[in-house]
Amino acid sequence: MAELLQYTITGIAVGMVYALIALGFALIWKSSSVANLALGQLVLISSWFTYGMLVQAKLPYWLGFPLTILFAIFLGWVIERFTLRPLIAQPILSLITVTLGVAYFLEGVVTFIWPMSVGALPRLFPQEPVHIGPAVVSQEYIWAAVISLILFGLLSLFFKYHKMGIAMRATADDQLAVQACAIPVTSVFSVSWIFACIVAAVGGVLISSIGGITHGLVETGLKSFSVVILGGLDSFVGCMVAGPIIGLCENLGGGYLTPLIGPGIKDIIPFIIIIIVMIIKPYGLFGETRIERI
Amino acid sequence: MALPCGTRNYDYARDMAVLRTKTHWALFIGLLVIVFTAPLYLRSYWLGVFNLIGITVIAVIGLNILIGYCGQLSIGHAGFMAVGAYTAAVLTNKLGFPFLAGLICSGFSAGLIGLIFGLPSVRVKGFYLAITTIAAQFIIIWVINHWGPVTGGFVGMSVPYASIGSLQIRSEASQFYLIMAITSICILFAKNLARGRVGRAFIAIRDNDLAAEVMGINLLYYKLLAFFIGCFLAGIAGALFAHWAGFLNAENFTLSDSILYIGMVIIGGLGTTIGPVLGAILIRLLQQAIMYISPVLESAFPTLPSGFTTGIGPMVFGLVIILFLILEPRGLAHRWILFKAAYRLWPFSY
Repeated sequence: MAELLQYTITGIAVGMVYALIALGFALIWKSSSVANLALGQLVLISSWFTYGMLVQAKLPYWLGFPLTILFAIFLGWVIERFTLRPLIAQPILSLITVTLGVAYFLEGVVTFIWPMSVGALPRLFPQEPVHIGPAVVSQEYIWAAVISLILFGLLSLFFKYHKMGIAMRATADDQLAVQACAIPVTSVFSVSWIFACIVAAVGGVLISSIGGITHGLVETGLKSFSVVILGGLDSFVGCMVAGPIIGLCENLGGGYLTPLIGPGIKDIIPFIIIIIVMIIKPYGLFGETRIERI
Repeated sequence: MALPCGTRNYDYARDMAVLRTKTHWALFIGLLVIVFTAPLYLRSYWLGVFNLIGITVIAVIGLNILIGYCGQLSIGHAGFMAVGAYTAAVLTNKLGFPFLAGLICSGFSAGLIGLIFGLPSVRVKGFYLAITTIAAQFIIIWVINHWGPVTGGFVGMSVPYASIGSLQIRSEASQFYLIMAITSICILFAKNLARGRVGRAFIAIRDNDLAAEVMGINLLYYKLLAFFIGCFLAGIAGALFAHWAGFLNAENFTLSDSILYIGMVIIGGLGTTIGPVLGAILIRLLQQAIMYISPVLESAFPTLPSGFTTGIGPMVFGLVIILFLILEPRGLAHRWILFKAAYRLWPFSY
């Protein structure tokens, strides 16, 4: 029983972080219908950057984290400005593959600057575990979930009330109409990439504070795709609902199936979920079913 | 400017011929002579490089049929190659199949796995399909790594040399002949596939699948056929790789390799026959150049970070993919066509 509760809590907490990273994907998809397959590498590079700031340059937290955010903003702006803007109105195939090129490039940058395969961030959260009922959960999970929720709340407020947020929603709805209203669509794209990089950076730091920085972070980013697919590509609520579901499936499945099937099953459960969702309900739980016309 | 001036079509057979003029024939035979006499004057190392290029060309041709002709993005091609490679390895190593039977079987097994993962393509496309194939990549590699009794798990397994009848194909040179022969057959197959009914159906699906369906193309059949053919060629390439390398490990078939294959298709030119060949040659030679240059640079500039040799490769390839997409989306094949048109008209500009 304690085991079940523990898996549930850690699953939901990790799922929250997945949901946060997935939110970055949905943001870009909604505003510019670009599928960002470099998500995993964005998570990886910003975690390593944090490592570089906090451990290698030995900066204090109050300086290191804002620098990471600044780096994420810069990264998002550069990627949008120099790879995606020249490709506006190109076929979807080019838009997807260019992010693959970006992914490859970022991975090269990471091995270039940080050739070691494993890094550990300093302890960000208090160490002592929390007792919830019979379960013992380390505090990092709780913090990760709380921070993800807060960020999600802030972003929803931004979309609801801020002028730029409203412009972004409008762009998602109809690009032509938005241009007719004199809203600069390109800067909307830019801002959506910047936000995506920020949430990827925050998600990366949260995940790597739990499990350390390894190349597996790329897979963490890829797992967020299962969140997007399950929740529906263009739905923020979908992300927030599907994230914990994926986290739960992963942790419960990892906990109870490992003795039956073998180690490592945990890592491919999200991918199996992708295949199942694709076959049963390809547009996800909250996604908009696209009706095409010739 | 597809043909030189004065080339006329007197009958259907001549209209449809691949090689039209005497110059075509001369150049083609010249190319064949150069390729098949290469073992006489190339060192064993370079023969190995060209063997790898030949194997890559087969895989990329398969991917080009999927992406370039049928428009179905697959980011799991290295995974499908792994299926073929391991099938060939298990069949020849553990069950004692002859090489050719193993080769055909590995093509079919990869094709069937491709069919399974291609099934969602009937309902979804674009990004959804990309994600499905990424999932395929991870699931296939996971199964290979955890199915120890059959595949050797994380350790990998050894593969015997290829042999046809009593002829052992052991040296780099004899493998070169084998691989080049199969590569030539695959190129010819791809060329004719693209010109026929199937190829035209693929192109119609790529341009607009709804319109294609309305015009009477069976979407289910042709999309799955594209997946089958693409993955079949990947399986053949994987089997050849297994026999060429002699030892298999799942590390040979990572997601990065899948991305690199897509890069080759794009750099070469989507939806052309010559494209995959050019793309594979360019990227593999670039890899050789980087392998050669980076230790030199590292010793010349000791201040470079220690990850220079491993990191520079992915950086260059990522950059090449991005630059080609932005500056020359039609790839090297387009440049090749422009070049042909220019030299035919030379010295006149048009």
